[in-house]
Amino acid sequence: MTDYQVDLTNCDKEPIHIPGKVQAHGFLVAVDNQFVISYASENISAFLPTQAADLLGQKVSALEHLLLQQEETGFISQLLLLGRHTKSFETINPYKVIINRADHNLILSQTGSYFLLEFEPDSTATEVDIHKTIGRSVSEMLAGKQLKQLLDNAAQQVKQLIGYDRIMIYKFLDDGHGEVIAEYKEDYLEPFLGLHYPATDIPKQARELYKKNLTRIITDVNAESSPILGMASQGEEKPLDLTCSALRAVSPIHIQYLKNMGVTSSFSISLMYKDELWGLIACHNYSPRFINYKAREASKLIGQIISSALEYKQDEANVQKNEQFKAAYNELSDMLRKGGDIGEAITQHETNILSVTDATGAVLVYEDKITSLGQVPDKADLENLVNWLKKNMEDRIYYTHQLPEVYQPAKNFSNVASGILACTLSKEMGELIAWFKPEQLSTINWAGNPNKPVEVDAHGVMNLSPRRSFDVWQETVRNSSERWTREEIANVLKLRDEVVFAINRQANEIRLLNEKLKQAYEELDTFSFTVSHDLRTPLSTIKNYSELLLEANQSLDDDAKRILRKVIAGADKLNFLIKEVLNYSRVGRADLEYTDIDMKSLVDEIKNDLVVALNIRDLQFEVGDTPLLYGDRTMVTQVFANLLNNAIKYSAKSNPPKVRVEGKETSTEVIYSINDNGIGIDLNYYNRIFDLFKRMDNVRGYEGTGVGLAIVKRIIEKHHARIWVESELGVGTIFYVAFKRNV
Amino acid sequence: MAVPDILYVEDNEDFVDVVERAIGQIDGTTVLRTIDDGALALNTLEKLAEDKAKPKLILLDLNLPGLSGLDLLRRIKETQSLRYVPIIMFSTSDNPKDIRSSLEFGANAYVTKPLGYTNLVKCLSAMHEFWLKTSSAVA
Repeated sequence: MTDYQVDLTNCDKEPIHIPGKVQAHGFLVAVDNQFVISYASENISAFLPTQAADLLGQKVSALEHLLLQQEETGFISQLLLLGRHTKSFETINPYKVIINRADHNLILSQTGSYFLLEFEPDSTATEVDIHKTIGRSVSEMLAGKQLKQLLDNAAQQVKQLIGYDRIMIYKFLDDGHGEVIAEYKEDYLEPFLGLHYPATDIPKQARELYKKNLTRIITDVNAESSPILGMASQGEEKPLDLTCSALRAVSPIHIQYLKNMGVTSSFSISLMYKDELWGLIACHNYSPRFINYKAREASKLIGQIISSALEYKQDEANVQKNEQFKAAYNELSDMLRKGGDIGEAITQHETNILSVTDATGAVLVYEDKITSLGQVPDKADLENLVNWLKKNMEDRIYYTHQLPEVYQPAKNFSNVASGILACTLSKEMGELIAWFKPEQLSTINWAGNPNKPVEVDAHGVMNLSPRRSFDVWQETVRNSSERWTREEIANVLKLRDEVVFAINRQANEIRLLNEKLKQAYEELDTFSFTVSHDLRTPLSTIKNYSELLLEANQSLDDDAKRILRKVIAGADKLNFLIKEVLNYSRVGRADLEYTDIDMKSLVDEIKNDLVVALNIRDLQFEVGDTPLLYGDRTMVTQVFANLLNNAIKYSAKSNPPKVRVEGKETSTEVIYSINDNGIGIDLNYYNRIFDLFKRMDNVRGYEGTGVGLAIVKRIIEKHHARIWVESELGVGTIFYVAFKRNV
Repeated sequence: MAVPDILYVEDNEDFVDVVERAIGQIDGTTVLRTIDDGALALNTLEKLAEDKAKPKLILLDLNLPGLSGLDLLRRIKETQSLRYVPIIMFSTSDNPKDIRSSLEFGANAYVTKPLGYTNLVKCLSAMHEFWLKTSSAVA
């Protein structure tokens, strides 16, 4: 290789629409708006008794005089006026003229501010009456049920109509390169069917011209094309735009290309699919061949009929598969609309994200989880790939059938994921769905080595020239999967919209739920108040009157008195419960007022109250260091009251009961421990001791509501503090509470 | 209209009944008047004030029809002739918020209604002892 890259992509820059020449089988004259002859091809002298240079600057009528005199003078001007008026020459073309006693066709067209007048023979290589046969041909062509059959028929019918040696249907693939997918030819010719041609063989601007002119004839590659003369008065030579010209001369590179192939004459018909160039019917002849305007127009008609059949057949070919995809999509969107877990809806059923494409593997990256289906890369590879996608996906969708070409590490798992189709669900969250297709080793038969377009001549000089050899050159393509179809991509986009919609709806649902929760919370507030007032008032009445009755009524016997005491005890217990529940719910809605709390006095106060209340005489109560604790005083009091109450209560039967409280400071926390030698907590209950109304098996015979530790836990959580417990049955319990230090 | 020693504003009949019994048990001579409506209570107090009379002690429940206990408290403390009458908030609630706002509005004490008749008698006799016997000297 040399530093200087020369390849046929340079063809891209060749201005093939302004070659400045015409093919030799006809001649061209161009007139301006005033119908003054501005250009004429030199070869006019071969057809008419004049020189091109002599005509320049003359009125177009000068041309009429040169043509046979039976024509009324002014006919060209009239044709031009008519065409200009109707903005089309379609109904006028071709206009028959006789030159040298032979029928010729005048073909008119407009290019910029000029009108082209092209004269070409009416004689044609085909003897068939095209108009008679065309109807039958069309029905023959369309008889094919499958696309392949349709195209085979088309090649055969075109061959019969215009009689070239070889008719090929040439299809453009995604990357612009072409493949011969149908062929009908003379038996002695070597088949080209199945051969691929690099995109550079038909450069971009040539493809553009194929879209504008649906037929193109090259009569004889060996004929010298004829230069077009312009008016000298125009100063610089302004080349005439021959985009619409039928006679337009051929690029020398293309001529060379055809010569290298051994082709002498070619004719091509454009096949369009939804306004894009889908392919060509390429006709080759190995000797010069010309077909007249009418035959070309008939061919164009066939091209158009095939084109519209293509739209239909191309769709039909995929219809069944697409129906499946669509059904799967519908099922998934139904599932999503039902609500519930989104990930589950699209991955956990028989119909899942895999079913909307032809992929063999798929992953869903959603809510920090990767869910895999089918054949996917290993976990580590997958994670890296997902990260790469998150970083590099610009659009909501990305796909390639050659992932290892863009993402090197994919070479290690090309067997499962050479093709990838990914769509983002949420860019911020890095959520996405990706589908995989495995590597498909394929062999491409190129018509000649497509990578060697440069010819080195006898002197060792590199020449830009099409390759000389069209011998089959095989290439094995690795790291490629089957391509993603338009339908697969469309399906994925639709599914993505549906999933995103479901995600948004769910977010809304969560917001609504939040609102409801808030409402319920407020109702709980009201409830607490009701409990506090409305429940306690009648309770008071029960207790008051029971006591009053007991005290003031002398006629009660002992049994009645005992019963009344039970009523009173029940009322007391109920009162205590109500108070505790109230305390519990109050923690939830109270605002914290943080202060530094003197723990020595707080603990002493609680202890004194408890000793009286619980009536424990021999309690050994020790208080160690008591560093300041930062928290809400009322609530911290509640925490220690509950913990100390438990410690004293559950060690009451030990001999003697011992309770020790001490605090320690770490760099971030103040940690208090409350240590007792009581009955202990069963290890299995550690997790449940903080649950509301949960009391352990070994506390029977001890007063309690099962609310105390639940309150403690709630307060601790409210302070963003920590609580944990160490305990052994029959030995004792240590509760630890750790509050953040005041900073 | 006799000038009451204690004005008790309470809408719960049962409470009114047991408090009357308890006061009767503590001291048969103490005049207790109960009113079950906040606005009516204010009205009564204002009429008494016109005659330069006032109770020795006011007991207020928090939740009252007409005018809430707290509002009534505020209005009494705003009335020049009544502001030195001791007022005890007497409620079932032990909510710190209720207690704090009562004291802020100028209540002289906040007593949570004790549970049970026995406790009530103890509680009221302590109040009687402190506020009726000693406050007469202040008034």
